[in-house]
Amino acid sequence: MEFLIVSTLNGVIYGLLLFMVSSGLTLIFGMMGVLNFAHASFYMVGAYIAYTITALVDFWVGLLVAPILVGLLGVLVERYLLRRVHEHGHAHELLLTFGLAFIFEELVKLFYGDFPVNYAMPDYLRFPAFTVFGTDYPFYRIFIGLVAVAMFVALYLLLSRTRAGLVVRAAERLPSMAEALGHNVPLVFMGVFGTGAAFAGLGGAVAGAFFPTNPNMALELGVIVFVVVVVGGLGSLEGSLIASLMIGLFSSFAVGLDWSLAGLFSLVGLGEWARSLGGVFTLTLSSISGTIPFLLMLIVLLVRPAGLMGERN
Amino acid sequence: MNTEPVLRLSGVGKAFGALTVMNEVNLDIAQGERHAVIGPNGAGKSTLFNLISGMFPLSAGDIRLRGKTISGLAPHEINRRGLSRSFQITNIFHRLSVFENLRIGVMARHGVRYGLFRRVSRMRGVNDEARAVLERVRLAEVGDRPAGDLTYSEQRALEIGMTLATGADVILLDEPTAGMSREETDRAVELVREITEGKTLLVVEHDMSVVFSLCDRVSVLVYGNILATGTPEEIRNNRQVQEAYLGEEVA
Amino acid sequence: MLARIVTIAAILVVLVAVPPLLDIGWQNAMTNMLIASLFAVAFNLLIGQAGLLSFGHAAFFGVGAFATLHLMVVIEDGGLAFPTPLLPLAGAAGGFVIGAFAGYFATMRSGVYFALVTLAIAELFHSLAPHWDGLFGGEAGLSSMRMPWGGLVYGSSLEVYYLALGWTVLSVFLLWAYTRTPFGRLTLALRDNEQRVRFMGYNAHSTKVIIFAVSAMFSGVAGALLAISNETANYTLFSTHVSAQVVLHTFVGGSTVFFGPVIGASVFTLFAFFVSDVTRSWLLYQGLIFVLVMLYAPHGIGGLVDAHRRHWSQLRWSELAPAYGLAALSGLALSGATIFLVEAFEILFSPEYDAARRRADGAWPPFELFGLDWQAFGIVTWAVPVLLAAAGLLLLPRARRALRQAWDGVLERTEADRTGSVSPELAGAAER
Repeated sequence: MEFLIVSTLNGVIYGLLLFMVSSGLTLIFGMMGVLNFAHASFYMVGAYIAYTITALVDFWVGLLVAPILVGLLGVLVERYLLRRVHEHGHAHELLLTFGLAFIFEELVKLFYGDFPVNYAMPDYLRFPAFTVFGTDYPFYRIFIGLVAVAMFVALYLLLSRTRAGLVVRAAERLPSMAEALGHNVPLVFMGVFGTGAAFAGLGGAVAGAFFPTNPNMALELGVIVFVVVVVGGLGSLEGSLIASLMIGLFSSFAVGLDWSLAGLFSLVGLGEWARSLGGVFTLTLSSISGTIPFLLMLIVLLVRPAGLMGERN
Repeated sequence: MNTEPVLRLSGVGKAFGALTVMNEVNLDIAQGERHAVIGPNGAGKSTLFNLISGMFPLSAGDIRLRGKTISGLAPHEINRRGLSRSFQITNIFHRLSVFENLRIGVMARHGVRYGLFRRVSRMRGVNDEARAVLERVRLAEVGDRPAGDLTYSEQRALEIGMTLATGADVILLDEPTAGMSREETDRAVELVREITEGKTLLVVEHDMSVVFSLCDRVSVLVYGNILATGTPEEIRNNRQVQEAYLGEEVA
Repeated sequence: MLARIVTIAAILVVLVAVPPLLDIGWQNAMTNMLIASLFAVAFNLLIGQAGLLSFGHAAFFGVGAFATLHLMVVIEDGGLAFPTPLLPLAGAAGGFVIGAFAGYFATMRSGVYFALVTLAIAELFHSLAPHWDGLFGGEAGLSSMRMPWGGLVYGSSLEVYYLALGWTVLSVFLLWAYTRTPFGRLTLALRDNEQRVRFMGYNAHSTKVIIFAVSAMFSGVAGALLAISNETANYTLFSTHVSAQVVLHTFVGGSTVFFGPVIGASVFTLFAFFVSDVTRSWLLYQGLIFVLVMLYAPHGIGGLVDAHRRHWSQLRWSELAPAYGLAALSGLALSGATIFLVEAFEILFSPEYDAARRRADGAWPPFELFGLDWQAFGIVTWAVPVLLAAAGLLLLPRARRALRQAWDGVLERTEADRTGSVSPELAGAAER
């Protein structure tokens, strides 16, 4: 029971964190057709900037400033780098963002070293939110979830209630039409890219204080974020949210379960035989918990590339 | 004497979701016939070609090539059965030479689809035939140039050549003279007449003079329906057709 | 034509004759260069020729390595009398089979979706392998030893080098021969216009599966050579890093020219060998070079070389040489500034410097770079990169203008030669 509650909470919060990062990625792809390989790098850079500002000034200042700086970085990347290779086609843009991800990782290693840094929340945030069957559940995890929810609400309101959001949605559907109507579509692209980056940076800033902050975090999260946007549907925010929660919950539960095919066979008394076969039969769910998201991604890509809620094109 | 139509469309219909673009189209094309499909823009002429050549599946009806059903087959399978089409928007291999563009078609005709273990330059039959097609479409001078470097009408000629190179004897040409000047059009018509000698030709056209000088029979397609079929003279005098083309010059 | 044959022959002679004269470190580096080159050429079959961008090619490289290692284990422990020089056949077989299977599914999609499928497949292997002891040796991986055969012991790195050389030359030759087959020409047509290929009577999907399998097969051979050389393989061979390296090598070298990937792989592996002792930031430089190439020379080094070769008779060196000179100066200045900054930061942000600072009670002691001592906050220290960068930036627009003018001339002359017509300016110049 305890496992159930804790895993559910962890899963939802991890899912919300995934959403913070994947929302920007899916928006950018839906609008500009660019799959930004460097998106998870924005997450990482956000964590490291927040770490630096926390060390120099204050944790809250870090939380506030890091997303802004990362957003600015995103704007610069779009304006001066992506736009330049746009004419060479999507493959080229993909490759460029791929190279950028590489560079960001190496730059982080240059300035902070090839090992984790001690980015941690301030002590006064280190208390239990509540106790579940004798185990304390850390408040900070809830805090991460709250930030994500706040971000989602803000994004939703921005897109559906503001003029800028309207223009963004128009530009996503028919960029040339939006431009013909007098809207500065390149500016919109820059804004969306920057905002997406800022959200990822916020995710890094808030999560990095709890989870390990190291140069590999972009790669680790990056591949899962790809799974999320594919499963949810490239370009769909709602799909991204659902897929994030799905994968968050799955990862949380699977890590603690030692089910295996052999275990299944032992239900009918064939456990020993199955175990003696080794290989696939003795693999536990916890050990392949990292593999299943990719299997899911493959299945979605092959069977229904539009994902859960994406558009068929 | 074989009176079976080489291409028969029966009750052909196509809908994209709730939008019906083609409805109850019946058409018989005889062996060796030169048949034009005309009609106002958006009438579905290209859709017709797309359906016949296998790009889209039919929503209703049947298409038979020499008595055997081809609806539901993949484009490459239809092509192998002897039906080949050109495209309204030039659809060539830009980075390959003109000669190679044609050779790809000739290779298919010779059944060389997975040839991994021989040198293509040594394949005399294929190369000779490709060169012959190159001559026939009068592009021998630019044979070694990248296809993307050709002028527009040269590319249209290549487009037709590629359609022919696969050795099909039912040829579908989608607006072969689109965008051409008077002279270029006349030359293109000569070319088409010459190289489709003995073959069955179905051509979508807007230019009435082309239709009149080239084709035996004409079908008028309006809003996904065949309004009338007949000789060019009959069609020209058809009241309904004139109404459909209200305001348009009928040659 | 003759020039090309002579060049290749000369390179082969060097590759055969020089290594015995080098030390073991160099020989290993050359073996790695061969492996990376083969991997890149195999990878380029997919993107350069068929237009399919794969971000997970490490999967087939890794499969080749593991397949070979399993065979090596059987030979070592089970006493199977299999010729050691033929070990890469296991890699080829593994690569081909897994490649055909993976390719069947991957080629059902195109563009970004295709890339994502290949990424997912590689990640599947990467996440599964550390937990699968039987097939992949779990986290530690598999190890074996090269067994003697046919009078040779295969113990030295030189012997491994020649084995790798033989297989690389053979494989690259086969891949080159591929481009001369009807199927090879079809591959190019597929890249240009897949739809048309379909309408000309070809089953595009089966064609793509075969292309994929061939590319995977030769990637497997490259992986096999690595397994033979290192006598070990583990799950990290499936990592994104490996897939990334082959992408970088291929595009910096140039994917539109057959030997482009070889150039890129060779340059990067050899430079890594030279430079990795001197700086820890080698990978950063690699990434920067890649991004710069993507921005300013999308066809890579190979593309540049090829452009010169194609327009050889229209090149006017009196214009080009000064333009290249300016560009080189600008490039050197900017590179110098970048390298200085990166290396300085590398030192200033390192744990060793941190320790030195603590020893100096929080002050900022001078650091050594390029054989000289620099003050951490000295004006001279930072003036160097600033001045270099300024010089580079000042020269840059001039260099670009000169290059553009020179190449406009080349292209004009090419056009004139081809059409037989002469442009007014040239006609005027000729009269004068």
